[in-house]
Amino acid sequence: MRNESESISRLRRQLLAGGAGALAAGALGSLSRTAHAQAGSVDLPMINGHRDLVAFPEKRALIVLTTRPPQLETPFEVFNEGVITPNDAFFVRYHNAGLPTSVDGDKHVIKVGGNAVGKPFAISVAELRSQFKPIEVVAVNQCSGNGRGLFNPRVTGGQLGNGAMGNARWLGVPLKDVLARAELKNTARQVTFDGLDTALFGGGDFVKSLDVNHALDGEVMIAWQMNGADLPMLNGYPVRLIVPGYYGTYWMKHLSEIEVVDQVYEGFWMKPAYRVPDNDCACVEPGTAPTATRPIGRFNVRSFITSLQDGARVQAGRATVVRGIAFDGGQGIREVAYSIDGGQSWRGAKLGDDVGRYSFREFSFGFTPARGTHDLRVRAWNRSGQSQPMEALWQPAGYMRNVVESVKVTAA
Amino acid sequence: MKRKLLLLAMLGIAGIAMAGSKSMTLPPDGVQLKASPLPGYAKAQASCVACHSAEYMLYQPPTAPRPYWDNMVKRMKTVFKAPIEDADMPVIVDYLVKTYGNEQGK
Repeated sequence: MRNESESISRLRRQLLAGGAGALAAGALGSLSRTAHAQAGSVDLPMINGHRDLVAFPEKRALIVLTTRPPQLETPFEVFNEGVITPNDAFFVRYHNAGLPTSVDGDKHVIKVGGNAVGKPFAISVAELRSQFKPIEVVAVNQCSGNGRGLFNPRVTGGQLGNGAMGNARWLGVPLKDVLARAELKNTARQVTFDGLDTALFGGGDFVKSLDVNHALDGEVMIAWQMNGADLPMLNGYPVRLIVPGYYGTYWMKHLSEIEVVDQVYEGFWMKPAYRVPDNDCACVEPGTAPTATRPIGRFNVRSFITSLQDGARVQAGRATVVRGIAFDGGQGIREVAYSIDGGQSWRGAKLGDDVGRYSFREFSFGFTPARGTHDLRVRAWNRSGQSQPMEALWQPAGYMRNVVESVKVTAA
Repeated sequence: MKRKLLLLAMLGIAGIAMAGSKSMTLPPDGVQLKASPLPGYAKAQASCVACHSAEYMLYQPPTAPRPYWDNMVKRMKTVFKAPIEDADMPVIVDYLVKTYGNEQGK
């Protein structure tokens, strides 16, 4: 316990140091790291969970899951900074090592075609910005495998804690308006998305697809701004797809090619990758394989305490406000309950401002700890009444974790 | 005066941001493959880390069994077209499972 709280305060100091470094780099107008030395380390709560903290271009020191291609997780303390995740702390997830390192944002072109359009065309980002009416949405992006490293029994794949998520204000244009220009045929069934990143040996290019009705829902958008600034390179500069309420796998970065096709696209990253058990819970008995699968889709409901980390030490008898965030796949959060006794009794937390049904929703509750150890838990419900399981569900790919998490704190 | 300079500096940054292009230099790999007397070590250096860094292996749960490593090496060849000789594949799998998987120490 002592070691954990020490390592957390060490992490805080390291993060502060990393933040100052990122600011200095920004002032020089350079996106390259000024120093390649790592900015400390962190221990995620899993066996083999030791990770380096490194500041990548336009990023503060983040948790390195992989260097090449980059996969970076947000240190959990960041989620207590506010309902919006800063761009320099937003998680990064690439699939192939051939990522672009230099892009001319204005001249970048998106090609729109496929066998189910009447008029294929190409459009530059400059044209995209000037020829369509922009919209804004605050939406959570979350990696399908967020929390995979916490699965029990363990599953293979990227061993993430719960930091592969973030909430940002996205500015762009509805995909629907862009596709209208291509004059879709009535044979249109799916829309596929490709970005500038490539697979080094030509196999396994990262391409994703959405059903055409989803792509035309007016909410799926092509965004060029994140929290009022250009997208960071590592988050998809100059344009990426925004699919509110859906896992990040669909949010194609460096979007460069859109195809409307007359069949269901089944490339590697749609099948067999990124699939979940085809049943209500998207789960199976631990250690077993699903009989049928479907592509991963909407987020389930999640909630987290952000102001206290597991293993924290607090002052006994002192009134504190515990804060946290909740979100779901787009119904919006209706209620958050909290327990200070490991889930035996529950009371309602106070919800913060509603900044949109795809956003993190802040909540808070008062807590005056008696001397001893307390098991704090929070549980959210969305407006459809969907909630979180008390015991973790399991699936072999390690997607969609949404168990009621436990944060144990010691008051002395 | 100081404030004016700060403002100019900020405008300078905005100017760069509005210039409409970005480039970046990515950091070098954080970890290397674990050295081993097993023959698969050299082959993994040639075949695996050409495309990706060694955290992909290092951070797997130590319970990861041989079929997992076997599937991954096969996936790299069949899906990603990694140029791995068929004869090298079992040797690489053996190194991976004994170095990062559930046959460590065997």
